[in-house]
Amino acid sequence: MASLANPQSDTTALYRQALEKYLRDESEAALHAAYLLGRRLLREGSGILPLIELHHQVLAALPPEGVSTERLRAAGRLLAEALSSFEMSLSGFSEANAALRGINQRLEDELRKLAHALHDESGQLLTCLFIRVDQARQELPPTAAGFLDEIKGMLDAVESQLRRLSHEFRPTILDDLGLGPAIDFLAQGIAARSGIPIQTDDRLRRRLPPPFEVALYRCAQEGLNNLVRHSRATRARLQLQTSQGRVELKIEDNGCGFDPRQPGAAHSLGLLGMRERMHGLGGEMQIASKPGAGTAIQLSLPLPPEGEYYGAGTPAAGR
Amino acid sequence: MEHIPIRADTDVLAARQKGRALGLQAGFSSIDITLLATAISELARNILLYAHEGEIELRLLNEGGRRGIMVIARDQGPGIVDIERALQDGFSTSGGLGLGLPGVKRLMDTFELKSTYGAGTVVTAVKWELR
Repeated sequence: MASLANPQSDTTALYRQALEKYLRDESEAALHAAYLLGRRLLREGSGILPLIELHHQVLAALPPEGVSTERLRAAGRLLAEALSSFEMSLSGFSEANAALRGINQRLEDELRKLAHALHDESGQLLTCLFIRVDQARQELPPTAAGFLDEIKGMLDAVESQLRRLSHEFRPTILDDLGLGPAIDFLAQGIAARSGIPIQTDDRLRRRLPPPFEVALYRCAQEGLNNLVRHSRATRARLQLQTSQGRVELKIEDNGCGFDPRQPGAAHSLGLLGMRERMHGLGGEMQIASKPGAGTAIQLSLPLPPEGEYYGAGTPAAGR
Repeated sequence: MEHIPIRADTDVLAARQKGRALGLQAGFSSIDITLLATAISELARNILLYAHEGEIELRLLNEGGRRGIMVIARDQGPGIVDIERALQDGFSTSGGLGLGLPGVKRLMDTFELKSTYGAGTVVTAVKWELR
């Protein structure tokens, strides 16, 4: 974020004028000017810190006799006016964040319903079809057998596609057995398809609140897909563990790596989505990578106390 | 009760100043007074922008010993066709930054917007003292 406190800049001059005026006459006009300036800076995409830095620089440039406790307090009131639009905007962003979380939750619920419908309902219909095809084979002349085999082959393909889709939408294993087994299953599937061996190490061995499990699972999915598409790795490893009150998921590979400071790579939609998922739950994501030196993505969420939260289908034991 | 006609930028100053004075009277913290002035600015700005003129009325409230300030912004401008949209951040002129009417709604404790297409708009919002 660029500094605003360029002595030549219009912003600095306007803020200095407002401050000097306010220290002279404590007028509403000065406060209003500071408010309008803050509002303009917000619209231009400035952050809060540059504005505070500007305040300090203008304050520091006042003649020494100009600084008394009383005047500092007055200057603080003027700064508050300048920051007031940011306050208004911030509460809007908090609301938007809560709304996004709600939308994401609803999306996950929809996906789960869809996965269920695909798996159970369409699956059942397919089973009936298989039986009918077998019956038809007995009724029809032997010349029809090749035809029927062809139909059965296509039905097989439809079934496996349905199963894969349903699993991608919402793996039942995630709801039934939890994050560790679900990630392991995901990794083995991707390893089989891509030919990259993926080692998984689950040291978590407990259930997390469903939003946590879903978020980490989706990140693992995205991370592994990226890995297969871009990394040219020959080995990868997923590690799930708890450390100092946090749950951590590390996705590492020995592939070509990239420069995380390069805007293109580190700001890809996939990585942004992973980071947003973590932020939404108060967590964070760190990327360690260098061209030619592999990539390690570390996701971390603050862990809720054990036993406090039992979502649907808690531990598999006892089932 | 104060009626401040809003026809030019200087009138916004008068409305803010009276709001600030009433805020002091109502025992508001300095932060709440700043936010009240901000709400008044945004309402006055809306009047100037869309109706060119109108008025802001300020009332000191007292409900069972709890003090508050009611801000009523009135104009006879073109009115708002779609109120729900006007209160969504993305559709306000602030471009999703939470300024304007959606911002005022969040700064105040209650917020009501009545508008008749072609006959003007009345926004009534109250901020209560913190207890």
